Amino acid sequence: MIKSEQRQAIEELVYRSCLALDSRDFKAFLDLCDEAFRYTITTHSAEIKRDMVWLDHDKKGMETLFTNLPKHNSDHSPLTRHATVYTVDLAGSEANVVSALQVFRTQLDGGATELFAVGRFHDTVKLSAAQPKLVRRVVKLDTRLLGYGYHIPF
Amino acid sequence: MGRTAAEWSAPPKFPATHYVDSRLYTDEAIFKEEKEKLFRPSWIIACHESELPEAFDYRLFTHPAGVPLIVVRGDDARVRAFYNICPHRGNTILHDPSGNAKRMTCIFHQWSFDTRGNCVEISRAEQGYQERFRKEDASMREVKCELAYGGFVWVNLADDCAPLREFVGGAMDILEPYMQEPMELFHYHRAHVRTNFKLWHDTNSEFYHDFLHYFNRITGMLQPGYFDRRYTGFPNGHATVGSMQIQYDKYEGSKERAVGWPGLAPGGWYMVDLFPGMTYNLRTSVMRIDTAIPLGPNEVLIEFRGLGLKRDTAEERAQRVFDHNTIWGPFGRNLHEDLLAVTGQGRAMREGTDSRWVIQGREENSTIHDEVGMRHYYAEWSRRMGRPAYAPY
Repeated sequence: MIKSEQRQAIEELVYRSCLALDSRDFKAFLDLCDEAFRYTITTHSAEIKRDMVWLDHDKKGMETLFTNLPKHNSDHSPLTRHATVYTVDLAGSEANVVSALQVFRTQLDGGATELFAVGRFHDTVKLSAAQPKLVRRVVKLDTRLLGYGYHIPF
Repeated sequence: MGRTAAEWSAPPKFPATHYVDSRLYTDEAIFKEEKEKLFRPSWIIACHESELPEAFDYRLFTHPAGVPLIVVRGDDARVRAFYNICPHRGNTILHDPSGNAKRMTCIFHQWSFDTRGNCVEISRAEQGYQERFRKEDASMREVKCELAYGGFVWVNLADDCAPLREFVGGAMDILEPYMQEPMELFHYHRAHVRTNFKLWHDTNSEFYHDFLHYFNRITGMLQPGYFDRRYTGFPNGHATVGSMQIQYDKYEGSKERAVGWPGLAPGGWYMVDLFPGMTYNLRTSVMRIDTAIPLGPNEVLIEFRGLGLKRDTAEERAQRVFDHNTIWGPFGRNLHEDLLAVTGQGRAMREGTDSRWVIQGREENSTIHDEVGMRHYYAEWSRRMGRPAYAPY
C-alpha cells in the first residue's frame, strides 16, 4: 500500500513536470528525470490500424532537442498542460502512474485558448532517490489532428 | 521607402509567367472550378496497399474533388474503389475509417454490397419494389483504381480518363529504381491548416524556402552539392528534384543515417511533385507521401504517410521511424516549420487583405533555388483552367 506522503510526492512530480514544460524551463524538467529517463509519444491510428511512435528520446536526446529548438522557427503560443493523477501502483522501488492529460494552447494574438490535445501520461517513477524521479514517460495521445503541430513535447 | 497602393497593385516587373494573382488562393469560385478541372479528372493517391493487406480490408478516403470513397480489397485480392454513398437514400455506407467487411452494409435500411460493388441484399425487396427494381439496379458507383508506383492505390473519378501511366508520364522514372521492393506504411497523420492547397504544393515545389529550416541549412544548404540539385519538369504539371548527399551529422545530436534505402546513395534525397497536389519524398531512409485534400479556398487537409520496407527488421524499422520523426513527424523540426509558413501565407492572403501577387521569379538554371518548379505547376494550372494564373479573371 502506498503511503500518502509517497503519493503526494509522486503527484507533485507529475505536476511539476507540467509546470516546467509550460514555462519552457527545460532544465527544471530534466532535473525531475532520472539518468535512465526515456520519453515517448505514441498514438494509435484508427485509419491505418497501427500504433505509432511520434517522438522517442532518452534523457540526452531530450536535452539535445531542447538545446536545438531555439534555432528553429516555432509556434510561440504557450501551452498549458493539465494533468490529473488517476492511479499510482507500487512495483518494488518504482511506481507506475497513470494521469489524464489535457493540453491547451493560448494564441499570443488575442489570447484565445483552445483545447490542443488530450491523452494520458503513463509514467514510471523511481522512488529510491531522495526525491522521486521520472524514469519513463509515455504520452499516449488520443488527439492526432494537431494542426501545424508543435516543437515542444507534452 | 514603402510603396503606394498603385505601386503595390501594379504587376511585378517579371515576365507574366513569373508571378500569379494572389486571388488564386482565396476565390471561392476559382476553388470550385479547380475541384472540377484539376482534381476530378486527375489520378489521386488514396492510400497504400499495406493499409489493405487482407481480403475484405477497406479504407475510406475523401477524394479532393469532394467525393467520399471506399477503397477495398476483394476476395480476389483485387483493390477496387467505390463511392461511399448508398444508392438508396444517399447515406454513408461505411463509417469507420478502416476495417474489414465481407459485406458493406448501410446501417440506415440494411442494403448490403459485396467487395465487387454488387448489391447483394435489399431489405424486403419484393414487398416494396415487386419486379420494378432489383439488386442488379442498385450496385455501387465504381471509380477507376490502379495499384502502381510503390504499391500506392490511385483513383480517378472520370470514367474516360487516360491510363495512370499516361498521366504520370516520365515523372516517376527518377524514383522507380528505388521502389522495386515492397514498402510498408508505419506513419499516418493529417494536418488541417488554414491555407490554400496550392500553397502547400508550392512549398514542395521550391527549395528556396530552405532558409526556413535550420536543419536543412545545416545539413544541406551549407554542404557541397546542394546548389547542383536540379528541377526537371514533366508533362501534366509534374516535376522532380534531383539528389545530393545530405550531411545529417552536421545537425547537433544527429548522425549519419545508418539505415539507408536499397540502391540509394548514402544521404540521398529525391522528390517528385505530382499535379495537382501530391508529393513523393524519398529522403535517405524514409519515403514520405503528401496528399492534399482541399476543403475550401483557404482550408486544406494534408495527409502525411511515412513508409519503410516491408522486409525491415524491428531495429531497422525503429530507426526509420526515428529518422522520420526527427524532421517530419507532428513534433518534427521541419514539418512544423513548413506548416507554420503556409499558415502564415493563408493568413496574409485571406480575402480582403489586399495581397496581390505571388512572385516566382527566381532563375538559377533550374537548380535548387530556381522557382521553375512553381512556374511549371502554374503553366499546367493555366492550361487546365483556360486562363493564365497571373490574370485569372
